[in-house]
Amino acid sequence: MSNQGNNRVPEQIQEKGIAVFRPELRENKELERFRVSVKNGNALARTKTEIALYAAVCLAILLVPVFLQDAFLLNKYARYLVFGMLAVSLSLSWGYAGILNLGQAMTFGIGSYCMAMMLKLKTVPVHTGADGLPDFMVWNNVTELPWFWTPFYSPLFGVLAGILLPACVAALLGWFVFKGRVTGVYAAIITLAAMVVVQLVIIDQQAFTGGFNGITDLGQFDIAGITFDAYGSSSYYLVAICLTVTLFLALAITKSKTGLIVQAIRDEEDRVRFFGYDVALYKIFIFSVSAAIAGLAGMLYTIVMEFASPTFLGVPLSLSVVIWVAVGGRQSLLGAMLGALIVTGVQGALSESETFLDTWTLIMGLLFVLVVLFLPQGIAGAFASLARRFERQRPAPARKPVQHTEPVPNGREIESTR
Amino acid sequence: MEIFVSQIMTGLSIGSILLLVALGLAIIYGVTGVINLAHGEFVMLGAYAAWFLQTQFGLGLLASLVPIFLLLALFGWLIEALVIRHLYDRPLDTILATWGIGVMAQQAIRLTAGGELRYVQMPKSLSQSVNILGATDSAYRLFILFLSLGLFALTWGIYRYTSFGLKLRAITQNRAVASSFGINAGRLYRTTFAYGAGMAGLAGALVSPLKSVSPEMGTTYVVDAFMVVVLGGTQSLMGTLASSGILGELSGYLAFYSNDTIAKALVLLAIVVLIRFRPQGLFTARVRA
Amino acid sequence: MQADQLIVENVSVSFSGFRAVSDLCLKVRAGELRCLIGPNGAGKTTALDLICGKTRLSGGEILFKGKPIHRLSEHAIARAGIGRKFQVPSVFRALSVRDNLHIGHSKQPGVLANLATFGQGSDTEDIERLAELVGLEDELDTPAAHLSHGQTQWLEIALILAQDPSLILMDEPTAGMTAQETKKTAQLFNRLGGRHTLIVVEHDMGFVRDIAQTISVMHQGKLLAEGSITDIESNQAVRDAYLGSGGIGHA
Repeated sequence: MSNQGNNRVPEQIQEKGIAVFRPELRENKELERFRVSVKNGNALARTKTEIALYAAVCLAILLVPVFLQDAFLLNKYARYLVFGMLAVSLSLSWGYAGILNLGQAMTFGIGSYCMAMMLKLKTVPVHTGADGLPDFMVWNNVTELPWFWTPFYSPLFGVLAGILLPACVAALLGWFVFKGRVTGVYAAIITLAAMVVVQLVIIDQQAFTGGFNGITDLGQFDIAGITFDAYGSSSYYLVAICLTVTLFLALAITKSKTGLIVQAIRDEEDRVRFFGYDVALYKIFIFSVSAAIAGLAGMLYTIVMEFASPTFLGVPLSLSVVIWVAVGGRQSLLGAMLGALIVTGVQGALSESETFLDTWTLIMGLLFVLVVLFLPQGIAGAFASLARRFERQRPAPARKPVQHTEPVPNGREIESTR
Repeated sequence: MEIFVSQIMTGLSIGSILLLVALGLAIIYGVTGVINLAHGEFVMLGAYAAWFLQTQFGLGLLASLVPIFLLLALFGWLIEALVIRHLYDRPLDTILATWGIGVMAQQAIRLTAGGELRYVQMPKSLSQSVNILGATDSAYRLFILFLSLGLFALTWGIYRYTSFGLKLRAITQNRAVASSFGINAGRLYRTTFAYGAGMAGLAGALVSPLKSVSPEMGTTYVVDAFMVVVLGGTQSLMGTLASSGILGELSGYLAFYSNDTIAKALVLLAIVVLIRFRPQGLFTARVRA
Repeated sequence: MQADQLIVENVSVSFSGFRAVSDLCLKVRAGELRCLIGPNGAGKTTALDLICGKTRLSGGEILFKGKPIHRLSEHAIARAGIGRKFQVPSVFRALSVRDNLHIGHSKQPGVLANLATFGQGSDTEDIERLAELVGLEDELDTPAAHLSHGQTQWLEIALILAQDPSLILMDEPTAGMTAQETKKTAQLFNRLGGRHTLIVVEHDMGFVRDIAQTISVMHQGKLLAEGSITDIESNQAVRDAYLGSGGIGHA
């Protein structure tokens, strides 16, 4: 605070105090409202740039099949996009809410199993008895379709379950964890433990889940007359559109007041609580949304891969998601998504050569440790701080004269305009 | 009666392995506040060290325990010095860094020792069965039970009665104040980390004859160890002891009626429900915030 | 005479056997400005913690506007109209001053309702006004992490005002402030009295003299004395309690 400001304090308090508590006494209301809009405009402009950037990236992704007809490549890229979506989901809970989910693959896997169960039943004619059973159930001497399989005859149910079931599981887990005020490292560990246990149960219950082998030999997903072939552009478009929608939905959430409160919770949980917000509820909400997105990604993954496997709920995948998000920048949805595309892309390119196939995991582990040590905000964070430095070096942009109320360092221009 | 005794013994056996694995983790977390996600890999490395010493040098398991402890302690010391040291003020990031280290250790083993299962011979002197109140139990499992209790007592003794332990307790209470009294926090942390890693190595070596040894074995152990720590709270070693016992008996009991996996799932469920109502663990005192 | 807004009755709490607060009784009228003083460790902060629900009491009860609140969760107590400023200034360091104030404005605490709220909307004017009141009008888009210590204190006070609770609990609001800033704070508090009820824990006796109507003195978890500034300064028990900590002015 400048000296000048300090000396004028008493009057300032007098005048403005009156204004605050008796708004009707405020003289230059109009001027103030004008200033407000200008300042708000500053934040608004930033948001607009952000939206434009997001839109450009999504458009580029949507245009890929126009230039690329190779079915195998399209399938591969669709897979990367699914990972991008998974990264977005983790960025939401980790970057924005500070909930480090080490078991993000759990909800991803649940989504993928929902889709697989639905597609498996498409290959099986609808009637009871041994004939109407998926192959692995027959091999395991199951005589009747288990009750939790039957609703999956309905595609609508399957799709809804793939999104809502992960969200509900997350909400339930979150209710216990967040209402119990478990935070930080503890919460992280519990998510990891939950995933490991769910994976063990799926492997263990072979008769109902296909065990180690997962669920294979699936039918093709179709909706409104369009069949989504894993190796066609239709599946690619499906994934790309879902990704775009998710990305903008997540962006909208982070820009809403709820998103703001969630970030505040990340910074100072107690402070938020004593303003009257139910912190646990906010955390449960963002945790569940994150899980729903992961579930959707899991469903798409099944469509693209044409099977579901317990490895989809594994520690390696979960770790990969965390790495993508850490590399891309946890506090940027777009950064996290691009992080996933870059890392998996490099991985895909490298694993084509013999030497890197084995050492890749080693490299990724090392890369991860280095990012954590030296680049905690990831690539997006590095870009943002570069951009900020660049902005500061330039003189304040010359605009229309009325707009010189932009935040100039320590500027008191406001006073002079009055 | 026999079934009852044998059931109790099964639980104790599970509990003693849990205690072995969790002890190192609890010490590291209790003193430094670092959740070491590579802990499972430390256990795995200990098991591989036992396998290596046995197959390459014909060293018996009992004879290799001390070298394994020292080897893993050295490894832990290096990890602390290279990575963890820089992250004490970013607790969530220590999880990430140690996770990365764990992955690297796993892959390094897969590349050098191969991904297939390995087996370690039990010490001959301990391979027979013992009769307790009509129930038979393997002598080796009893050995693990007593050794884990012995290691626990040793650790507790160090913590409670040595000047090193006093400094540790001071550091845990308030690092800044302790440092101003000339206690070198950095060195204590490093020693603690090395000790915890050594303990993990011992745990790995000791369980290696009971279970097959593989690069992935660490994951389940680290999860188990965390459940112990979450249940026991991080304030006291006694909490770790008690919760190992409880979880061991509970798992043994549940597994008797279903199987290991279902038992594990139910135990996790119980812990998740428990933290809702006692988030600080079962054995933690209420302190002034 | 107005009715008592806050009644703390025979409240006790202990931590591992240590009684931080024992049989504390306090009555505060609506619109009153009450100072809570006492030597270090007297239980002042704990008393505030008990009122706002940060610490659960082990005996007694707390009534706010005639209703018991000691069993409510913290956010419910806050919604009932109690705001709390912490001893160590606590703001959202990664967020801009504007966003901080926007969050402080918590009349609508629901998750889903806030999901549909973008920008500051109707709160904008309030936010601007509050920022001006505490001299942060030029820092609206600055991340809170870049503010000075005094500014951070002010921001947190502004956050509480944005919340607009009927009872405000202030824990050492002038810590780390310059003499000028402290004076400014005193004036603000005097202005708040009447509209808000204030309970202020403070060590700076000069500040207390400037603002207090009634002073409650705590010692060893108990209420030692209560009265006007002159009553308190001439009270022998209070002097005795402060012995060894260098006199009342320096405690």
